[in-house]
Amino acid sequence: MTKFKLLFNKDEETVWINDLAAQGWAMRSFFGGFYSFERCQPGEYIYQIDFADKFGHLSRDYRDFMEEMGVEIVCQWGFWVILRRPAQEGPFELYTDVESTMEHYRKIRTMFKVVTAFEIICFFVQMTAVFNGSVGILPAALIILALILVLMREISRINSILDELGQRQGQPAEDVGWRRRKPSLLLPVGMFLNAIALLISNIEIPGYDTVKHVLQVSAIVLMVVGIYRTAHRL
Amino acid sequence: MDKNVPLTEALFYILLSVRRPNHGYGIIQEVEKLTNGRLIMGPGTLYGAIQTMTAKGWIRIYSAEKDSRKKKEYLITDLGRSVFAEECRRLKELLGNAELMDTGSCM
Repeated sequence: MTKFKLLFNKDEETVWINDLAAQGWAMRSFFGGFYSFERCQPGEYIYQIDFADKFGHLSRDYRDFMEEMGVEIVCQWGFWVILRRPAQEGPFELYTDVESTMEHYRKIRTMFKVVTAFEIICFFVQMTAVFNGSVGILPAALIILALILVLMREISRINSILDELGQRQGQPAEDVGWRRRKPSLLLPVGMFLNAIALLISNIEIPGYDTVKHVLQVSAIVLMVVGIYRTAHRL
Repeated sequence: MDKNVPLTEALFYILLSVRRPNHGYGIIQEVEKLTNGRLIMGPGTLYGAIQTMTAKGWIRIYSAEKDSRKKKEYLITDLGRSVFAEECRRLKELLGNAELMDTGSCM
């Protein structure tokens, strides 16, 4: 069985994979959002997702170590490592104290920050092209902007987690300003709709004009509401 | 060396567990036993701790048998022992002062 899901939130992903495992579907491999599952006993495995130190590569040490722990390395995607262990060997948690959990999330956050920075550069490059006349790139630029916002949401979620964990250790929360502010999901959705509207404006089929206008109006409404909600959150 | 940074519980117990050569799973079992089931270390936590302490020179790999590479064993180093001793001094000071609390519930 194959399912498609685009998730940036690894905790949500872990819950989802374990839910399916509880129903008798064990995840076997992953490729660009496509998860493939095979039948298993309900609840036979417990899954966890780890974050490796190197991209696309796991050290001999790590492999041997996990093998000794009875943990199976299911697959790897970039820095992400899908692990599983038979449920009968007991509860399976990767990080059991505050320090190592924080370290884990910090590594993830760094990766997201790097990707976001790169995407921001791409966005500016594209917008420069747009202002120089290549208006056709605008939909792509909007999609990248939507992606940037989704990434920022995940970074702010991780910031919240790190703040909470840090407080358990007596570290005061940093100034609650933009760090934890989570951009509203309406913003990227609005941008995405706008991008689609722009893309289909090239298609000359009667009726599509109305569709395009509906999309653009919805997009603008969503974005305005999204900005308002982002500004008034926390 | 770190200036008077307290050892985390995990590091403390791992150092203790490798006072004699011990492998990954053995460390987890020993820590669980020593803490009466209170501390059950996850593989991620233990792996990270082992990497950190090996890099700092607090523990080293003790390979008794070259071919049974699956059970890589670790052993505390002299540096590890001195760090551990330092932490014990800190804990003794802590507990010593704890007696000042009049409830007497600490001892």
